[in-house]
Amino acid sequence: MTRSEFLAKHGFMAAAIISAAVTLAIFIFMALLGYPILTSGRLFAALLGAWQPTLQSYGILPMITGTFILAILAVAAAFPVCLGCAALVSDAAPGLVGRFLHAVVRMMTGIPTVVYGFVGIFVLVPLMREVFGRGSGFSLLTAALMLALLVSPTMILLFCDSFRRVTHSYRQAAAALGATTAQQFLYVVLPQARNGILAGVLLGLGRALGDTMIALMLAGNAVAFPDHLFDSARTLTAHIALIIAADFDSPEFRTLFLCGLTLYVLTTLLVLGVRLTMRLPGRRP
Amino acid sequence: MMRHAFKLFHVWVWGSTFLLLAATGTVIGFLLVRGWAGIGQELVFGETPVLAALMLQRPVFDGLFPAMVGTLALVMLSVGMALPVGLATGIYLAEYATGRLSSLLSLFFDILAGMPSIVVGLFGFSITIFLHHRFSGKIYPCLFISALSLAVLVLPYLIRTTQAALEAIPVDLRLIGPSLGATRFQNIFHVLVPHSLKSILSGILLAIGRCAEDTAVIMLTGVVVSAGIPKSIWGNFEALPFYIYYVSAQYTDAGELTRGYGAAIILLLLCAFLFGISFWLQHRLSQRMFERV
Amino acid sequence: MLHNSLKMLLILFLLIPLLLFASMPTSHADPLAAFEGMKGEIKISGGTAHIPVMKAAAKAIMTANPEVRISIAGGGSGVGIKQVGEGLVDIGNSGRQPTEGEVSKYGLKMFKWAIDGVAVVVHPKNGVTALTQAQLKEIFSGKISNWQRLGGPDKAINLYDRDAASGTRDVFWKKALDKGEVTDKANVVVSNGAMKAAISNDPYGIGYVSVGHIDDSVRAVALDGVVPTLESVVKGFYPVARGLFSNTKGDPDPLTQAFLDYLFSPAGQAIVRDSGFIPVK
Repeated sequence: MTRSEFLAKHGFMAAAIISAAVTLAIFIFMALLGYPILTSGRLFAALLGAWQPTLQSYGILPMITGTFILAILAVAAAFPVCLGCAALVSDAAPGLVGRFLHAVVRMMTGIPTVVYGFVGIFVLVPLMREVFGRGSGFSLLTAALMLALLVSPTMILLFCDSFRRVTHSYRQAAAALGATTAQQFLYVVLPQARNGILAGVLLGLGRALGDTMIALMLAGNAVAFPDHLFDSARTLTAHIALIIAADFDSPEFRTLFLCGLTLYVLTTLLVLGVRLTMRLPGRRP
Repeated sequence: MMRHAFKLFHVWVWGSTFLLLAATGTVIGFLLVRGWAGIGQELVFGETPVLAALMLQRPVFDGLFPAMVGTLALVMLSVGMALPVGLATGIYLAEYATGRLSSLLSLFFDILAGMPSIVVGLFGFSITIFLHHRFSGKIYPCLFISALSLAVLVLPYLIRTTQAALEAIPVDLRLIGPSLGATRFQNIFHVLVPHSLKSILSGILLAIGRCAEDTAVIMLTGVVVSAGIPKSIWGNFEALPFYIYYVSAQYTDAGELTRGYGAAIILLLLCAFLFGISFWLQHRLSQRMFERV
Repeated sequence: MLHNSLKMLLILFLLIPLLLFASMPTSHADPLAAFEGMKGEIKISGGTAHIPVMKAAAKAIMTANPEVRISIAGGGSGVGIKQVGEGLVDIGNSGRQPTEGEVSKYGLKMFKWAIDGVAVVVHPKNGVTALTQAQLKEIFSGKISNWQRLGGPDKAINLYDRDAASGTRDVFWKKALDKGEVTDKANVVVSNGAMKAAISNDPYGIGYVSVGHIDDSVRAVALDGVVPTLESVVKGFYPVARGLFSNTKGDPDPLTQAFLDYLFSPAGQAIVRDSGFIPVK
């Protein structure tokens, strides 16, 4: 191997190591700075308690609950719409229309979340308040709806991808038997793309868990446990944005890193989950 | 009866698409309706004359110009930092790494890709605290730290697109270089990368878009309400997405709110523009490829 | 001949005092002149109520002297005090007086340049215009949760609270709520501007905001019979009052001192007045 080959190979490897190191570094920094909470035995209190600073309770459970409910709600609301839309784009729509819609969806992925939040404040919040007559309009449901809109384009593209991978000959076989587009889709494509759909849902969930701006601007940020959908609630991400201003050495500040670690762990679990879908019986997504 | 079920299918697919498009259209339409009237020189430059502002002679107040320059500086710095590392990592994954190492690295980068942006921001903030206490008391959240954090955010995009682009090269093309006596590196540098330029470029555009629109990361690492044009990378700066967030929550008068709408429109236009370039590039480059053959 | 000389002498006698008078620094010297020839950066952060004044002052100073850069961030009073104490910014604004602990820990110097009040606000269409402190405490603790109990429509009360770093919140909690409990179901907003935006868009909301921020989009509620206005705050009738402070770590450097001097100058105090606060001079 010549000198330049050697340098090139190790140069590229160094870059890869740096990149991997960054991923680990994030975890390490969170752990390092959140060290006091992790070791003081107050870990369970922090994870499972309620947030009541006046009572010296700095638990992030309400935020964890908020994060989960919001993400699950958003993906649940988006799922049927995304599935339908993806079906249209990849199967049911005539060629040119399908390609055009695909481009439109691709363009939609570029809309920033802060724009969704901005419009949400002025359009969705008053709407929710008037239509449902409960609460201030800043609620889990409001944020979930907007969040569903945010994750939809990504989920649609992922679904489309997995539909496309279904072997063409299966479709042809169904068509040869006289199946309509609807039948082809429901009986052939959908079952074959199951793993891909699951992966898409998980990735959408990940995106919904990790979003900050929509939750911060639309969910109300109350620190209580959310009792119902119309309650104002706070997510882990919004909590970080709100508390970042607190005093360095205060226990509140340390909980930020606990939030960061929790989000890190959740992300890792989701990624592993997606990897698992590749191992499930059936077509690889 | 089954026929009705299948008719429902068409209702479902067209209905869903319509719903989605209507919702998105409402979002964009609302901004356009409310903000279009405000678009103009005053939105960007306030009361400062355009030339003076562009020449950086006079500061701009009540205008979006500082935020736009801030966003531009941020994008250039962060993509500049992420590009070499991301590109090299992608090349490594596609060309050199094998088996378990490749799998492990891939896992790491998937995690990085899924990382919530606020965690990346928190990371950047923690680095600042760490450096502030250990090294120099002069280190604060600033443009450099924000750019660094954004670089971490978009790194996975660059890695993934580079890797995918290189892995998609057909075998016969890969063999051209070696068959002529090229070394591995020469092959990569002279054949493989140039061939995948189109995809790599679209990855870069994706990264640029992500940097321009992100709010959570910069909120924790140095963006402020008012700072003028960024004069040094160690100072505070303004940015468009933060301006939108700030105005939406805290507008003090109707004028500021209109500027907020205008800023949102500009940001949307920027994203549309990047998307357009990406589209055009794909179209243009694939034509070129076709012609060459 | 003598006639002419006398005339000249007379003129000189009249002119010289005039010239002397004109060249003497007047008590109303241009405060912006202090910035002449200076360059550097002033970093400001902290209370959100102060931001309009900071922005207007920065605009005047930067227009007069483009070599001076002033960057302004928000974050709340807690942030301002902490950041100036840690040396991250030159001026940390707070809407409450820094505690003794904070002053001694960071070595803060305080400069109060305005007086302000914190008022309870509701939507302009809300019929409720006066509350007693007892009622206020029950509203914020969640005991009274429907407008009906206050003579309004049968709708739930939407509470808006501020974040923990807020000086406005601190003053409100201590003086208006008498350190009473605030329910954890309240919506949390991050600044005075955000509170105003929230209340002006919610017909069933109630919150509190700096008196200087009140305009037509919200309506102030009288507390124990006193309507919160600038006059009632100045005269001491309205008890929920606070000073607006700019704090520095130790003695301010020349550039920062010039900025603070500007705030206390007539031009600066005029800005304070225009922003809806009460100037200290």
